[in-house]
Amino acid sequence: MNKLYLWGIIITAAMLGATYVTVGYQKGGLNGDIVNMLAIAGAVALVIITMFVVIKYVRQMQTDQASGELADESWDNIGEYKNPVPFGWAIMFIGTMIWGMWYFTIGYPVNAFSQIGQYNEEVKEKDAEFEKKYANIKGEQLVNMGESVYLVECVACHGLNADGNNEVDAADLNQRISEKSIKYVINHGSNNKLLGTEMPMPDRNGLFNAETGALITDKEIDAVAKYVADGLKDANSAGAKVFANVCAACHGPDGKGMAYVAPDIATWNKQLVINVLDNGKKGVIGKMPAMDRLNPKQKEAIAAYVMSLSKGE
Amino acid sequence: MFHWLEKHPFFFAVGVFVVIAFAGLIEIVPNFAQASRPVIGTKPVTLLEQAGRDVYIKNSCNACHSQLIRPFKAETDRYGHYSLSGEYAYDRPFLWGSKRTGPDLMRVGNYRTTEWHENHMKDPKSVMPSSIMPGYPWMFKNSADIDTAYATQLTNAQFFGVPYNKPVPMKDGSTAVVKMADSVAGAHAMALAEAKEITSKMKDQNVKDAVARGEIPEIVALIAYLNSMK
Repeated sequence: MNKLYLWGIIITAAMLGATYVTVGYQKGGLNGDIVNMLAIAGAVALVIITMFVVIKYVRQMQTDQASGELADESWDNIGEYKNPVPFGWAIMFIGTMIWGMWYFTIGYPVNAFSQIGQYNEEVKEKDAEFEKKYANIKGEQLVNMGESVYLVECVACHGLNADGNNEVDAADLNQRISEKSIKYVINHGSNNKLLGTEMPMPDRNGLFNAETGALITDKEIDAVAKYVADGLKDANSAGAKVFANVCAACHGPDGKGMAYVAPDIATWNKQLVINVLDNGKKGVIGKMPAMDRLNPKQKEAIAAYVMSLSKGE
Repeated sequence: MFHWLEKHPFFFAVGVFVVIAFAGLIEIVPNFAQASRPVIGTKPVTLLEQAGRDVYIKNSCNACHSQLIRPFKAETDRYGHYSLSGEYAYDRPFLWGSKRTGPDLMRVGNYRTTEWHENHMKDPKSVMPSSIMPGYPWMFKNSADIDTAYATQLTNAQFFGVPYNKPVPMKDGSTAVVKMADSVAGAHAMALAEAKEITSKMKDQNVKDAVARGEIPEIVALIAYLNSMK
């Protein structure tokens, strides 16, 4: 046993002793705590392994002799032993190069993070979730959904009670159509894509009264406007007669409209509301912007809500 | 050459900088230029809209309202398509904003109307009972600064190449031309014509009278600007 090993043993013992004293004088020592014990076991292992490694290399420095085959190159008479790359290292080196090429050409470009990609995934996921959760929503629930969408998107103009707001020119949704609107539509015609397609209604110069054979008159307009705004109820009024002779040809005798020809002017219906949301609307009180960014279910829900408002009228 | 560089660390550092900067130049700049090219459908602001933009800045609207829709579903559901950098190509300065006390205004022109803005700017609570925004009644009295707006337009056109009086491609394949006046008097006439279009839908009699007299209240310019944000 030479001096080196002796020093090794002394230093190891000293460090282990220091560890023991440090831990021992802590309040409560290890406390039977598994984490503390693991830490101490690690410290002991570290001391011992370090000592073995240090001794190995110090010994090598003390005793090693230069040996091996010199390479041909010589730099100012300083030579180098032939020292081939270990086989494992070579494999790793080539493997890294192959991986690098894959990462550079495929790995990164295909899997790279993209903000928009993440956004698209999020939208897809949430839409699917929404679709699944509300696929069969109907009745009361659909109306409630419509109300919440309404409170976010529509309330700014149509008001909390959906009674419209003449200041900002939004319609009262508690009734299908107001007297003012009817008069305007008859006087100016209308083309609001309420049926989803271009289907203009003529102005008063295109509206004939089948009974009198003449164009509709101001008096008749007043009468029919009142009749329609009241919900086509009073069958004996003058307005009802005008309606039957002028409007019913397209809007139907009950005002329920006809597919591809004229919209329902008696009540709100689902497709009507959806078409207004899709295309916006322009009339006597002003212009409503299209709300086409809502999804189909939300539009349906708003339709259900609007229909629920005018029920019983 | 290399021996010389090895002995002169300062010039060596300069050389390293040049090499790395060159790599950055060819990798970053083309991408950046591509992304900031005007998106098809983006138009420069008209004269009245520019005056409204100045009102927007003057009243610090951008302190509470952003003009930047981030790509999150919660935002695109509420405000519309997320913003693209090319949409700001003609914004000088851009008004992204960094705080939303109020909602984002990037595409407010899509879902609010002149009538709505008129009532809202006078008394926000009249159209939105829960609103915490203050009213801006003085905008109905003060006149918009058309001279400055015209000067800004002229600067943008001449020094920054913003395409006024030139065809700009639109989304439907057509082209649109945003006209710029060639004299200060012409500019005033142009702004007034635009203002009349806006006031035809407004209710405030004082504003209508002012426009009829040839003045342009700030509110008219601001509404023109808000309507243009799509």
